[in-house]
Amino acid sequence: MEGFVAHQLNAFEQGKISRRKLIKTLTAAATTAYATGGAGAAETEGLKAALVNHISYTCPNFRQAADWYSKVFNLDQIGARDKDVALPFGKRGDQPYGVTAKDVPLTHLIFRTRDLNPPPAAGEAPRPKVQAVIDHVAYTVADFDREKAKAELKSLGVENVRDGGLYSLHMTDPFGYDVQISGFANNALTDG
Amino acid sequence: MERFIAGLVKDFESGKVGRREFCQTVALAAMVYGAGEAANAQATRGFEMIGINHISYSCPDYTKARNFYTSLLGMESTPGKDNGKRANLMFGPEPGKGGSFIVARTTPTDAKPSRAVVDHVCYTIANWDEQKVRGALKAKGLEVGGREGSLHVFDPFGYYVQIASAEAENAFRR
Repeated sequence: MEGFVAHQLNAFEQGKISRRKLIKTLTAAATTAYATGGAGAAETEGLKAALVNHISYTCPNFRQAADWYSKVFNLDQIGARDKDVALPFGKRGDQPYGVTAKDVPLTHLIFRTRDLNPPPAAGEAPRPKVQAVIDHVAYTVADFDREKAKAELKSLGVENVRDGGLYSLHMTDPFGYDVQISGFANNALTDG
Repeated sequence: MERFIAGLVKDFESGKVGRREFCQTVALAAMVYGAGEAANAQATRGFEMIGINHISYSCPDYTKARNFYTSLLGMESTPGKDNGKRANLMFGPEPGKGGSFIVARTTPTDAKPSRAVVDHVCYTIANWDEQKVRGALKAKGLEVGGREGSLHVFDPFGYYVQIASAEAENAFRR
């Protein structure tokens, strides 16, 4: 806790955060530390992302996008609503690949058509300006063989199929979004 | 099919069905069978999805993103893969066994935009404890929004990050 307070104080002294921000942050940290049983609990336990829960994909026509991903990746469409639909990576009751915890659901894609800059909801601050972009998403597929996959993608009418590094393929979805596929050989230890 | 045809032949021989009915039934059976084969063939096209391999995240300073995602969501910067321009941030199962990673890059984000955008990513936290999760987020000085079981914050580059429990965010419970 002391280290955290010192860090915040330094930031304030250097003009990186305002007085108001400093007070708010320290108040939140102090009350949270108490609520969770001590500063150590909050600082050392932390959070751990178990898996991607979902990826939210927004485009001019969510049905067209969902149909493309359903076709290419054999994904079912469920829970369709006026402006969105979900495509889970498996069937109900399936366990995510490599996950043993029972409370980690299948990853799913959500395709939406909506305003990306809606006015803030009542009581909420305006969204900050986004300076980052997820320029592509890579998917792991079963039994990946690059040459066979290339032929399969072409037979499915997928556009702009091209090699990606040693182990993967890139392609373009109907809205110009870059999609990558690979097998297990492309992973955090081998990529880059 | 063979058993079906055999039964039909037996019925024909015993006079239970006439020639015309026999022929029509066999033809219909062939058509249904063919449709089924076509459906099966269609179902086997495309790929079997295993999971997210990686997410390519471009921003003005990858170190800030790296520090944020490792410290907040327990991701691990892959040893030997931080080259001063990018880093691989691992999470979930082991690499090559279902694990995923974020590639955090320092890259100009003024590339020609596609007509689609991945506007947010949601991460599942196992053993969800609302108080603990909120506490961990607030301890980082983050403004926390959302609802029970599904919270969100903004990363250092204003990117929307959602964190959820299995109950609150589940495709089969929409």
